[in-house]
Parts: sequence; structure tokens; C-alpha cells
Amino acid sequence: MAASIIEMIVFPGFVFLGVLGMIFEYVDRILYARLQNRKGPPWFQPFADFIKLAAKEDIVPREADSVMFKVTPLLAATATVVASFYIPLWGPAALHSFAGDAVVVIYLLTIPTMSFFLAGWYSTSLYSTVGAVRTITQLFAYEVPLFLVILAPGILAKTWSLSEMAAFYSAHPLLCLSNVVGFVVAIVALQGKLERIPFDIPEAETEIVAGTFTEYSGRLLVLFRLAISIETVVGAALISAVFLPFGYGLGAAWGFVVFIVKIAFVMVILAVFKTSVARLRIEQMVNFCWKYVAPAAVLQLFISLILSAFVG
Amino acid sequence: MGLIKSLVTWSRVKSPWVIHFNTGACNACDIEIVASITPKFDLERFGVQLKGTPRHADVLLCSGPVTRQIESRLKRVYEQMSNPKFVVAIGTCACSGGVFNGCYNVKGGIDTVIPVSAYIPGCPVRPEAIIDGVVKLLGSLKNPAAAPKLPITIDPAGVLEKGA
Repeated sequence: MAASIIEMIVFPGFVFLGVLGMIFEYVDRILYARLQNRKGPPWFQPFADFIKLAAKEDIVPREADSVMFKVTPLLAATATVVASFYIPLWGPAALHSFAGDAVVVIYLLTIPTMSFFLAGWYSTSLYSTVGAVRTITQLFAYEVPLFLVILAPGILAKTWSLSEMAAFYSAHPLLCLSNVVGFVVAIVALQGKLERIPFDIPEAETEIVAGTFTEYSGRLLVLFRLAISIETVVGAALISAVFLPFGYGLGAAWGFVVFIVKIAFVMVILAVFKTSVARLRIEQMVNFCWKYVAPAAVLQLFISLILSAFVG
Repeated sequence: MGLIKSLVTWSRVKSPWVIHFNTGACNACDIEIVASITPKFDLERFGVQLKGTPRHADVLLCSGPVTRQIESRLKRVYEQMSNPKFVVAIGTCACSGGVFNGCYNVKGGIDTVIPVSAYIPGCPVRPEAIIDGVVKLLGSLKNPAAAPKLPITIDPAGVLEKGA
């Protein structure tokens, strides 16, 4: 009981993932700044933002549904932490695993998006509502390709458990090469899930103020920011567990280093992607996802199906 | 308790999020505010971020004299910000009404409507003066005894001393 509480709150739960999330938020911001030829924020910036917001006044608008307004940030932060328990981090075995946990992880990573929608909707402000509707519209565009490409490697490994998938690909490293299309699709979909440029349509600050988070302030906003930071790390960990299953046999210490390097690699790709493109309009985003990303995901599915006839 | 308090003050100094509100300016000061957040000056070095919504912001950058039309809106934007919050009047018009003082549709400077923490005169203000003003305002938080008393006045061109 005590061990599982520590597991949930300290390591590798809220505190560890929160700190890691903020470190990678810094990595993202400094890369973004350097790529734009700026100096960028100091290393403690995400921590200063966190403390400052946590020490500010919370305002709950009179028009908003006060229960939903306060519950949704907590829901978002919790779901991302729970998702991390089923993803292999630095060993081939996740903290907990069962047959079919890949599906559960994808659903758990949908909960933050749903809570952004509910938060925006129950704020009842005009900008939040527009942001909420955009969030859900965007969800329909990237969720299907993401689902397909996370499950496609599972077809080849004949399992839908992330830990068994990681173990299978560690044993057959060459088969990873068949998942390159899926890796690209997953990066694009993750960018959409994290609502980063070019898919930051739900919180486009030049159009709709701050989208779903328009009415949030203080501690409630900090929970949302924490949820997004943790979701970034968990999403990158999910991608590296499925598509980059290297270095699992090296023991805990080296395994941890390899884990950090893999996440950093995914973060660098995400940051370069973010810097080199501009924001799309919502209908361009939906068109792009259904015309190019979804067919690419189906292609990955076919590659895995055909290969699975020959392998094992 | 003292440690937490100083940590919170440190975080407030290191992470000022600003919102820009035009209370009736001729747009010159607005362009200078926008210029000061471009990559050339890179205010993210100091943790400054421009926010779209008053709920997220700590510092309200006001430019221009308060017109009678904008007065109620300015109050509302101020009330929407969460505590602790600061107001910076940017430009001569925002400080005192400037050349628009006494005009039939103008109320006066920002301080006739809401409390102001720092005055930065200039027509228009240079980005360096804006950065200087915000940094001095935050410095006064860090060390209330040594810093100048609020409100702070930035006067790089010596406009106020010459008695213009």
C-alpha cells in the first residue's frame, strides 16, 4: 500500500514526471528560441512559471460551472500520470502491464484532451467555447491515425501489450525498420495531441485569446500546464517505447540514460517541426490529417500485416 | 515560512507575464511594445511572455490616454486579472493624458481609473525604456527597502526634469 502510494506520488509518479516534464519544457523552449536566433529563457524558467502561477489567486467566473471548472485540470494531470505506469520507460517491462494495455494507454492519453474540451465548455466564455469545439474537432482528425500506428507494430509482435511489444522489438531490432512510416505519423499526431504549432488551433492566441484556457488562472491553470508537460514526456515515451525499442537490456542506470536520450531525440524532432511551420486553419488541419496522415497510417497497417505473414 | 515567501517573490520576479491593452493610443506606443517582444530584444530571456488573456497575466501594459469609451472596459480588464497584479503606464499619454489632456472625450492618464505601479513616459517610448521600467518594477518587489517607492518613473530622455 505504502509502496504504491510512493509509486503514484513520488517515483515515477507525479513529482518525478512533473520535474521531468518541466525540464523537457525548458529543452523545448530553448531549442525553439535558438532556432529562431534568440537567446531563450534561463534553465529555471518552467519552475519559476510553475511557482508563480501556484501562488496566484484562483478566479472562478460566476457564469462557469464551478465543480467542472475545478475538476477538469485534476483529471487531465492524473490521467497522464496513470498512462505512464503502462509504458516501458527504462526496462522492457512497464510498472504494470496486462494484455491490451496499449489500448488503455491511448484512451488515457485522450482524457486530457477531453478535459480540455470540458474545461472550455464549462467556462461558458465565448473564446473558451470556440477553443473547446476546435479541440474536439482536432481530436477526430489525429486520433484515428495515432491509434492505427500505435497498434500496427503490435500486429507484427502479436501482442497489444506495450511491454511485450518492447520486448519483441528488442529481440528483433531489424523489424523496427518496418515501422518508419508509423513513426512519422505518430510524431505528427503527437504534435496535434499536444496542441503545438502547426496544430495549436484550439489555443491560437492571435485569434481566440487563449482558447480553452482563457478563463483559467492560478493553481487551476498550473495543473493544466503540468498536465501538458507530463503529456509531452509520456507521449514521447510512448513513441520511443513503440518505435525506438533500444537499450532495454543495459540495466537500470544506463537504461535511464538511454531513456532520456530517446525522449530528447523525440523532443528535438518536435521542436524543429514546431519552428519550421506556421499554424494551419482548422479545416486545413482536418483535411491534411484525413488526406495524408490517415492513409499513411493505413499503409503502416498493411506493411505490418504483410510482414506478420512471414515473421514468426 | 520565510523561505517559501522568498521563493514566491523570486518566481514573481523571474516570470512576469504581460498583457497589452490599448486604452486609446495613437498606435505608436503599441508598435514599440510589440517591437520590444520581438526576437531582437528577446524578452523571454527575463521570462516575459505576452499573454492573450488577462486571467493569465501579471502585468497590464496600458498605452494611451483613457478615453471615455474605454474607461469601463479598462476597469473590467483590470478586474479580470488575478492578484497580485501590476499596471504599467506606457507613453506620455498613458502617464498624464499628454497632448490629449482636456479633450472632450478623454478622461486623463491611466491613474485616473486604476492604480498604476510604474510610469514610463516618452512619445513614443523606446523598447529599452519599456524593458527598463518592467525590470525596475520587478526589482522593487525583490527588495522593497532598497528599491524606489512605487510608483516608479522611468525618464531616460529627461523629459520630466526639463519640465516639458
